Amino acid sequence: MTVIFLTSAEFWADQLVNGLTTGSIYALIALGYTMVYGVLQLINFAHGEVFMIGSFAGYGVLVAMGGDDTSGAMIALALVLAMIAASAASMGTALAIERIAYRPLRNAPRLAPLISAIGVSVFLSHLVDDGFLTGRSKYYPSIFPDGALELGPLTISALQIFLMGSSLAMMGGLWWVIQRTKLGRGIRAVAESRDNASLMGIDVNRAIVVTFALGAIMAGVAGVLYGLFYSAIRGSMGFIPGVKAFTAAVLGGIGSVQGAVIGGYFLGLTETVGRELLNEIPGVSLPNQWKDVVAFSLLVLVLIFRPNGIFGQKETKRA
Amino acid sequence: MTHSGKMSRWTWLMAMVALLAIFAVACSGDDDDDSSSAGFTDAGYKTAGLDKARVVTIDGDIPIGISSALTGEVAGLGIPIADSAEVGGEGITIKGKKIKWVREDDLCSPEGGPAAADRLVKANVVAAIGPICSGGTRASLKIFDDAGITHISPSATAGDLTTPTRPEGPYVTFFRVPVLNADEAKAQAQFAYDTLKAKKAFVVFDTDDYGKDLAAEFQKSFKAEGGEIVGTPAGYEKKTTDFKSIIANIKAAKPDVIYQAGFYAEATPFLQQLRADADLKSIPYIGGDGIKNDELLSGAKDAAEGAYLALPGTTGSQFDTYKQKYAAKFKGNADSATFGAEAYDAATAILKALDKVAVEKGGKLEIDLKKLNEEIKKSSFEGASGKVEFQDNGNRAGAVVRLFKVVGGKYVQLEAGKK
Repeated sequence: MTVIFLTSAEFWADQLVNGLTTGSIYALIALGYTMVYGVLQLINFAHGEVFMIGSFAGYGVLVAMGGDDTSGAMIALALVLAMIAASAASMGTALAIERIAYRPLRNAPRLAPLISAIGVSVFLSHLVDDGFLTGRSKYYPSIFPDGALELGPLTISALQIFLMGSSLAMMGGLWWVIQRTKLGRGIRAVAESRDNASLMGIDVNRAIVVTFALGAIMAGVAGVLYGLFYSAIRGSMGFIPGVKAFTAAVLGGIGSVQGAVIGGYFLGLTETVGRELLNEIPGVSLPNQWKDVVAFSLLVLVLIFRPNGIFGQKETKRA
Repeated sequence: MTHSGKMSRWTWLMAMVALLAIFAVACSGDDDDDSSSAGFTDAGYKTAGLDKARVVTIDGDIPIGISSALTGEVAGLGIPIADSAEVGGEGITIKGKKIKWVREDDLCSPEGGPAAADRLVKANVVAAIGPICSGGTRASLKIFDDAGITHISPSATAGDLTTPTRPEGPYVTFFRVPVLNADEAKAQAQFAYDTLKAKKAFVVFDTDDYGKDLAAEFQKSFKAEGGEIVGTPAGYEKKTTDFKSIIANIKAAKPDVIYQAGFYAEATPFLQQLRADADLKSIPYIGGDGIKNDELLSGAKDAAEGAYLALPGTTGSQFDTYKQKYAAKFKGNADSATFGAEAYDAATAILKALDKVAVEKGGKLEIDLKKLNEEIKKSSFEGASGKVEFQDNGNRAGAVVRLFKVVGGKYVQLEAGKK
């Protein structure tokens, strides 16, 4: 059967790249959700706000380094510093949240820290929106050099390459930390069984703190990439990417690191390409507003057949 | 157990596919006649308005409500509107009584509107200015009407807020000053077709009441001019920042002009992402009045250059008076206060009517809310936004639309027929 597309190859290439770009950001944020769930079985709903704080910290650095007038080698320096500052700010926020809102509830019923997480999320987004910005948005300076790579119908801008590249590098780094270092081994042990890990002499609190910190670093970098690419940032910006990333984590199998990455790309792609594909069916014309309907219907479908997500394992008996 | 579990999953799947198929059929049958079915929703509601309107006695200052967006995304529009309304009462007393302004935050939302209206009714205001947005207004009409309180919106522009069946139909307590979306869209469609010579337009819109209405009116007018709407009009929700997917659709549809109905908070990232695309760097862009705001210029910078925007209404003989008072009291610039002149005129209409209706009795003021409503309807004066008169259905009589272009980081008003 031959498939005849109503729209051009360029269009599909564009949407494919858009899907991968959005997916990269979802994947980076999803990692924070999945790792925290892995060690604490807690849905850290404030993670979207950790991402938001990182984005603002990066914005602060870029503006301080000259904003729109930054040029030449200073751009590279500004970007690196922005990412470091964003990671640091996100990490500080995540650790403070862990200490203030989650640790006192560690032995409470599971719903208590969940509500606490929602509370922190609402508090932070309104603090920034209504407290500092009075509802206005800030806009990232557009300093990233123009230019694009053309491969047949595929056009990828330099910024998109940078975005996808940095997110892959961050994910690679995270994989290395988790799989190859002592710290990572500790985290994996705590994820498997907190009590057993503790009996084996692993500092459980330290492993949990490191987990939050690693997730926050990913979110901070995602915040800068998001700002560079979409420009508008505001206090409420973490909500939708947060929900989408959480969805991606569940889709991939919550608790699974590779699942979060695959889930992120999967959701990013279905969101942009899913509706367009349906529109190729004669007689169907779904407007842009329907893209989330399509993406989330697909999510329900996946979960019907794989309730634990793509990479999820059957919930084992956890004490 | 496992087997039957699988079965029920398949049953689920079949059910969902069937449901989606029904949706798809329902959607493809759903053509453009959305605009005709989007008529007045509360047709069955009999107006309580003037029957409930009572005579109130005022001892202290006269409370008048202002419902506007004071926080949130649209505060940049809402605060100048609220300030401008207050400026309308600057230095004015009614039979020796001062005006007490009661401000409530309606957030420009369908949830915020009724909440603000309730608070204003509880505060015993004699009349109100607002709500600021169409969605909030629609949700608040009944509350004001039930309380018999007349309110004038300075800025709610969706066509179906007023009904042709008035004065018999519902909500005789509602008036509005702005020129409607339909008139604005028509002027912009003519500009696109006649002046810019655009034959194909792509429409992007905010999915709230205002955006949907303005986008539908633009499509109607542009087609009436002889133009074609290409691609599927793309809706987006407030706070959207990712427009890349819509932009890929725009590129595929190859339009001559892009029309956006929405607000500056989303128009800013949209323009930035649009202009970042090499193929769309210089395609003409037209935006509605919700986008014409100074924050667009400071946010989008170079990406806003060359954009065409509109403001319904004009500057009337009282504009300079309003401008001076506004600068003196709130340090604001009336030229960039969208709908500020309309808010000033709404306040003036209420105050002029109050002055005629209020009766002094033993140091107190008696105000008949029914007479106040009738007197507001008879308004006829030269205001800051031109001559203010109301039609039977509560809409403003006469419609003037001004077009602007962003040149060198500033809004420049266009002469008729010029690019």
